[in-house]
Amino acid sequence: MRQNKKLKNFGTFLLFGGPTLFIFSAVIVIPFIFGLYLTFTNWSVATGDNTFVGLGNYVEVFTDDGFLTSFWFTIKYVIACLIFANLFAFFIALALTSKIKGQGLLRTGFFTPNLIGGIVLGYLWQILFSRVLPFLGDQYGWAMFEKSWLGDPDKAFWALVVATVWQLIGYLVIIYMAGFASVPKDVLEAASIDGANYFQGLRKIILPLSIPSIIICFFLTITRAFLAYDINLSLTDGGPYNSTQMVSYHIVQKAFLSNDYGAGQAEAIVLFLAVALIAITQTYILKKREVEA
Amino acid sequence: MKIRMSSIFKLIVVALLSLLIACSNDSSNSDDGSNVDENSNTGDNANDNQEQDEEVKVTFFNTSAEVNEIFENLFTEYQDLNPNVTVELIPTPVGGAQIEKFQSLLASGTPATVANLDAGTILQYKDKFLELESEREKYEELTKPGTVDRVMLDGKFLGVPWTSQGYGLLYNTRVVEEAIGGEFDPSTIRTRDDLESLFEEIDAAGTAPIIIHGADWSIGAHYSGLAYALQSKDINENLDFLQELKNGNVELSENAQFSGIMDTFDLLMEYNLRKDDPLVSDVNLDGADFANGESAFYFMGDWAWSIIGQLEGRDDEFGVIPVPISNNPDDYGNSQVAFSEPKLFAIDDTESTEAQQEVAKDLIEWMLTSEEGQTAIISEMGLNMPYTDLKAESSNVISNSVAEFADRGDIINIGVINHFPTDWWSNVGASMQKYLSNNIEREELFNEIEDYWESTK
Repeated sequence: MRQNKKLKNFGTFLLFGGPTLFIFSAVIVIPFIFGLYLTFTNWSVATGDNTFVGLGNYVEVFTDDGFLTSFWFTIKYVIACLIFANLFAFFIALALTSKIKGQGLLRTGFFTPNLIGGIVLGYLWQILFSRVLPFLGDQYGWAMFEKSWLGDPDKAFWALVVATVWQLIGYLVIIYMAGFASVPKDVLEAASIDGANYFQGLRKIILPLSIPSIIICFFLTITRAFLAYDINLSLTDGGPYNSTQMVSYHIVQKAFLSNDYGAGQAEAIVLFLAVALIAITQTYILKKREVEA
Repeated sequence: MKIRMSSIFKLIVVALLSLLIACSNDSSNSDDGSNVDENSNTGDNANDNQEQDEEVKVTFFNTSAEVNEIFENLFTEYQDLNPNVTVELIPTPVGGAQIEKFQSLLASGTPATVANLDAGTILQYKDKFLELESEREKYEELTKPGTVDRVMLDGKFLGVPWTSQGYGLLYNTRVVEEAIGGEFDPSTIRTRDDLESLFEEIDAAGTAPIIIHGADWSIGAHYSGLAYALQSKDINENLDFLQELKNGNVELSENAQFSGIMDTFDLLMEYNLRKDDPLVSDVNLDGADFANGESAFYFMGDWAWSIIGQLEGRDDEFGVIPVPISNNPDDYGNSQVAFSEPKLFAIDDTESTEAQQEVAKDLIEWMLTSEEGQTAIISEMGLNMPYTDLKAESSNVISNSVAEFADRGDIINIGVINHFPTDWWSNVGASMQKYLSNNIEREELFNEIEDYWESTK
């Protein structure tokens, strides 16, 4: 009897979990394991070479100047995106929940960039930065825009940040708005009766109670910014002169352009570990600040 | 609870294992299949029978992504003539992950039967392609003299040339003639000083003399690539030079060709329309500005016609002149334009059956010799074909101008760059971009190039 029930459970699991499990294994687990294996070889499609090289590729990761430069560049990019995307999203969400007129329309407007794929969005901003803004800059004498931002390494960095932030905000706004909606009105009312002004209420009540949304938004921003590739490819293409190569971009170049699959894959593993570590730490630290209403 | 957990775990293991087995089964099956095919198909006659009786499917991998559709139409015509053959196009995106796709097809054991690839890529994967020695004589007769020699890769005929391209300083005839107030004879520009005085005249007339397209492939691969090819007319000597460079035995600043080409680059930079914002490199905008007369010259190749040809209200007459590298008119390079067969058709020799390979050979020959094929390549794609008996005419005035140089034999064989590592243009292109935007001096540029080569040893 018990055996029978076990079998039935097994069958049910297979029915519902089976297809997902199969797909998950086929596109995530097996490629991941195979990728891990690749990092210990100097595999190449061209030569069919498949020699075991031990940890040689990992040593190469930390001696590859290009990787270290792009990693540092990515960290700066992540920090900038984290600050600006969340700051903007937080205040936009606040404005949108304060019974402003045309709320629905504005919300849709802010969310739309998120529905545009990174590649299209990158090309769109590329035209803005290299043609529209310089044209306007020339016309009205705005020194800041007279030259294309994409022709200068520092400005190209900010161009990437602007485009990413623009894309991310809409999504984050929705999450923050949902968070604000769950802040109990009675607590806020009680505070205002006790003489707290709006900013005190914001700092002492809304902010602490929004920690769960902040955790999600930070997590999303960090992981998405760390793994950014499409916008890097379409907006700057790593240029000018390879100064805006983010780490994913560098890995693809390393593996496919320089034909160094083992080292490229090892760099991808290092990136995976770094992102996992940072994202977990961030969640852990913020979780401790979570409070109940 | 405990029991259920472990059974789920077992299930996962079983699922993973069965997936692995399924994958390995699959590849061994297809191996068996091709073996049977090969066995049933030995001998020359077998092929003819096969063509009549059996269905053969070949795939075509295309890296000339901008003409995917034209190839597809061409294949439909071929299928009408050969009802037992199916040709399937494997397209790649324009400027997208082309080589990645090629690699993954190869790595997964399903390579395309025919691949239209850069010569350098074929060289890199030379063991994977069929040697076409038996076809060589035929193509030597069909093509213009010297073509087959230029596309030999490590002494082997691995890819059939189908298009030739040339590059140099393109000029807009109307703009130049308005500036100099008379007819322009391009053969008068034989030295750097000639070019400089022409630029001065054009500049004085109020037009920008030139556009440098600031992309890494243009100034890195095409412009700086000239310096390697100009070392000698003999490609083997160019390869020796490359080896010396890798060994760290070359001082680029003391190399006449490198210094010469950079001296000319300084001149181009001085008169560049994009001087203030040199790295924007929008290929559509640059092409349109040149074609509309915003600048008199444009460092680019005949492929620019794919953009220029479609513009409305543009100028009509264009031509090409060499990039002068010195002040001695007789130096190699001052009267020659860079010319190559950049893309070749190669046939897979890893998984394809003999029947497929035979169909592939026939398909290639049909595309290159039939009127349908030549019309598609020359008239529809607007490309130059290095073949003698052409049944179609080109509307591309730039490639016609390049062809005049080629017919006279006034060409620079840039085949040496096929032997360069695949990341060369991107690395050296970045250094050239720094130089173009005045971020580094020439000494640093040469150091970066020397360092790159030493790192590839």
